[in-house]
Amino acid sequence: MMELAVRNLLRRRTRSIFTLLGVAAAVAILACLAAFGQGYQRGLSQELDNMGMQMMLVPMGCPFDAAARVLKGKTLDVSLPMTALDAARSDKDVQIAAPLLMAALPRPSEGRTDLWVGVDESIRPLKPWWKLTSGSTWFTDDHSVILGAEAASTELRRVGDTLFSPEANRSFRVSGILERSGTSDDSLFFIPMHAAQEMFHQSGRLTAVAIRLRDPEQITGVSTRLQNTPGAQVVTMTEMMGTFLNLVGAVRTLVLAIAIVAITISTLSVFNTMLSAVLERTSELGVMRAVGASRSQIFRLLAIESILMTAVGSAAGLLLAVVAGRMVGRVVKNFVPLPPSESLLAVSGILALQCIALGVGVGLIAGIYPAWQASRLTPAQALRVE
Amino acid sequence: MINRIVTMKEAAAETIIIEAKGLTKLYRRGAYEIHALDNVSFSIREGEFLSIVGPSGAGKTTLLQLLGCMDTPSSGEMLIDNQSTKGLSDAKLTRLRREHVGFVFQGFGLLPTLTVMENIVLPTLFSRRNAQSTAEELLETVGLSSRRNHRPHELSGGEMQRAAIARALINGPKLLLADEPTGNLDSTNGAAIIKLFQKLNRDGLTVVVVTHNSTLAESTRRVISMRDGKIESDSQPVFNIGSNSNHLSI
Repeated sequence: MMELAVRNLLRRRTRSIFTLLGVAAAVAILACLAAFGQGYQRGLSQELDNMGMQMMLVPMGCPFDAAARVLKGKTLDVSLPMTALDAARSDKDVQIAAPLLMAALPRPSEGRTDLWVGVDESIRPLKPWWKLTSGSTWFTDDHSVILGAEAASTELRRVGDTLFSPEANRSFRVSGILERSGTSDDSLFFIPMHAAQEMFHQSGRLTAVAIRLRDPEQITGVSTRLQNTPGAQVVTMTEMMGTFLNLVGAVRTLVLAIAIVAITISTLSVFNTMLSAVLERTSELGVMRAVGASRSQIFRLLAIESILMTAVGSAAGLLLAVVAGRMVGRVVKNFVPLPPSESLLAVSGILALQCIALGVGVGLIAGIYPAWQASRLTPAQALRVE
Repeated sequence: MINRIVTMKEAAAETIIIEAKGLTKLYRRGAYEIHALDNVSFSIREGEFLSIVGPSGAGKTTLLQLLGCMDTPSSGEMLIDNQSTKGLSDAKLTRLRREHVGFVFQGFGLLPTLTVMENIVLPTLFSRRNAQSTAEELLETVGLSSRRNHRPHELSGGEMQRAAIARALINGPKLLLADEPTGNLDSTNGAAIIKLFQKLNRDGLTVVVVTHNSTLAESTRRVISMRDGKIESDSQPVFNIGSNSNHLSI
């Protein structure tokens, strides 16, 4: 029966292929959507987990925007007083409070803007993915700089080289270069906090304070206490993740609506293909009934053809989602808040099974009426149709 | 031994394989009713070679389809092997058709995606039985052994019809029904098909053909002539069945 169904589908190759492509496109959209959602959630959660911090102190304003900008290595127009760092460090439940000062240094002659970050030793446990290349050391003095892998390659600098910034009129010695991590750190210039404050005329000011707690259970208490810090506000990583997932969720709902339209169209297309097949092959189906095929066998044959077409279409769509999805993912990354460094696409086995199940479901729904139509004809009725 | 065979053949000749009692088939076309068959009664003995003739629209094909359980009558009753088909479900009619009847169509009815061999064994796909050796024998019988792997479009009309006959015989039916089997063939191929039917009938198969071909009709032992949904004449009627039926008595 299966072989007969395959041959029937191959008989009208072009029509079958176009119907199959319609299903593949619909499934690919849906698979990408689901895979992006899962990938974004997983990547974001992994990235925030890797940092091992539970909250940040950021300047007044939109806390989520501020936190996202800091995490992705972007500057803020407003800043925090140093007292915020003291307040965090003096809290008994805070294990690490790492200050960050981020500043942009325009390089008109190069046609780009470099991002410089002032940090101190306390940042290192919060950046577990940092690996210094061989020969590198941590800051030795206020004139040391650690370059991200991308920054080092752009500046053509090695460990021990001098880096002169004409815009700031300062010279630094490259004390270390970070191995490529795929994060925004790759393109940053890290310098000691004191040097950064001096270089960017931000004495006594910070962009943010990243905080790791001794016990993450204490997050509510610490958050309440630090909320009273003058000129600062607290944003927890859980809140941030929730907000970003909600934002992405709203976009996903919109795209889901498009995917549902695509699936509806492909279902109608399969329906149309199967109905045409029944009409074209009515007399042939009559012959089959005459030589002994029962109604249920005719129904099954048509249903198999429909399901086979959509199942293969779904598999092709899944493949398309994996191949084209990676490229689309790179584009989408530019539009989502706090995109994770790893791939946005996460096609799990369950997702693959769900997509195939969806295809089979579409095939079944679209095939039921044509198959029923074919099976209800008596052989004599079917044979009368020429 | 020979005497025994003769006795069995005689016994078979007495066995009524099909009995039609007042078969009527009505088709509705809007407000009109068309009597495709009008109160037709007759019987067919096992081993008969019978042709049904008549002008177009006489009801020949409708009668053949009713005989083969491909349709149900509007009224009347039909018995196959003394079993009434009245009120049988579609599944039971299908089984009856599958086990007792073989069909040959004017347009051959071969599936274009299948080879000759695959077309011949197609009915066994639905009856779920293996008939490979029977198929080999049938291929030999209809002279298509060398064409077994060819698709229908690679065959001549005569070859296609012979393949269709082999397919009709694969389930070992008692009755072979053929609707204009020579209608699409030239005279040479038509004659070959007639010879094949005669051979099959000599081997004991009951053959009923609907035809416009006078040579084919003359080659059968009994001719039923139809007009306007009624039997006009029957060259060799079996016996009288009902007083109100459109039936010729001896």
